[in-house]
Amino acid sequence: MRSGGVSPRGFDPASLVAGLVVCGLGTLLLLDQLEVLRLSFGYIAPALLATIGAILLAAGLAGRR
Amino acid sequence: MTSVPNQPPPLRRDRAGAIAGGVCSALGRRLGVDPLVFRVAFVAGTAAGGVGVLVYLLAWAAIPAEGARRWSPPSVPGSRESWQVAGGIGLLVLAALLLFREWDLWIGDALVWPVVLASAGGALIWRQSASAQAPPTNLAPRPLRLGGTALGRGALGVALVVCAGVVFLYLNDALRPARDVLLAVVAVVIVLTLILAPWWVRLARGLAEERGERIRSQERAELAAHLHDSVLQTLALMQRRADDPKVVAGLARRQERELRAWLNGRPAASGDGASFAAALQSAAAEVEEAHGVEIDVVAVGDCAVDQDAEAVLGAAREALVNAAKFAGGEPVSVYAEAGAQRIEVFVRDRGPGFDLAAVPEDRRGLRESIHGRMRRHGGEAVVHTGTDAGTEVELTLERRS
Repeated sequence: MRSGGVSPRGFDPASLVAGLVVCGLGTLLLLDQLEVLRLSFGYIAPALLATIGAILLAAGLAGRR
Repeated sequence: MTSVPNQPPPLRRDRAGAIAGGVCSALGRRLGVDPLVFRVAFVAGTAAGGVGVLVYLLAWAAIPAEGARRWSPPSVPGSRESWQVAGGIGLLVLAALLLFREWDLWIGDALVWPVVLASAGGALIWRQSASAQAPPTNLAPRPLRLGGTALGRGALGVALVVCAGVVFLYLNDALRPARDVLLAVVAVVIVLTLILAPWWVRLARGLAEERGERIRSQERAELAAHLHDSVLQTLALMQRRADDPKVVAGLARRQERELRAWLNGRPAASGDGASFAAALQSAAAEVEEAHGVEIDVVAVGDCAVDQDAEAVLGAAREALVNAAKFAGGEPVSVYAEAGAQRIEVFVRDRGPGFDLAAVPEDRRGLRESIHGRMRRHGGEAVVHTGTDAGTEVELTLERRS
């Protein structure tokens, strides 16, 4: 019989990777907005693709364990 | 009871599965991904300024070679995760290529993109042909493969390679002279597609309906054969034993049990996986008990009872019932040879025999329960008989599995 309350959740590496890469992307965009960095489309597009790719890779690898 | 954790294998270059230095094979085993994904990534990286070769050499130097002891991969995960991993690696490689392009580490669009497309398509075609040639075995360790049907993978690979060729020709201005012709061909194809689409759709629907009707017809025939072999035979037997109420009640109870089991979808005694020889012996014993006729069974070899073997059993049982009913009390002999490739059953009696041409059209026993049943499962039934010559029913079936 299950006890009440919040059910414990295990460590999810995919969520961690997704959070980290989204944070990294957000930091880059913030620095660009603050004009610390000067990002063009040639840099933003690979960054977006790399973000999605890293999340997919982490989710796929985590799903096997 | 303790459980062993599912540890990933150590990162070692695999000489057996290697094409060049075994780096992609090692990475694939370590991450549980098809090595082709890494091979395509390295080819793409090489096309984009030679970075792929540099990374490959560094990895080759860093990853130790595998020793004598081989690692076996644990289990094959589902295709969804495989596609996620492959898609993730693909997007990361694409991001790296765009960065190299931005940094001018780039040979040129006219070469890199066709090479990337062609290597991905070639890898899919290669994987398809390799998996088609490899013999299926349960003993060899299976590496992780990308999901999807083999045909779909092959078609996608061909499309990518063709696309690579077209992109290469287009970017090198080789398509300019043929542009007018190409445009005309594309226009004609579109017009023809629009005109012929209704017929194609109707044809596809007609084929589907015909297939459905054929399946329903086969199901009706199977149902009729089953009812004939069970209910009708029992009713006929009850009429013959009408003077013995106990026997009639026993026959009715047994038939009721069989019919209920069949209606509820429960497997019969000779269900899938059972021994064919044992099921044949059991059927012979049932007929012997019901009709009071001696039946000798000789079975050579054996096989599991699947749908095909079940059909042979049903036909043999019907032949046994016919022999028991019409052989005039003479013993019936059964000889069966069963193997992985072929099943043969001979049911022989020394009764008066009969004229095959004189069998009425409405008698379903021989026509449907024996001939029709064997034909539906790809087999054949031959009846050797003649007046005062006894009867032999020969059942032959080449197994499909």
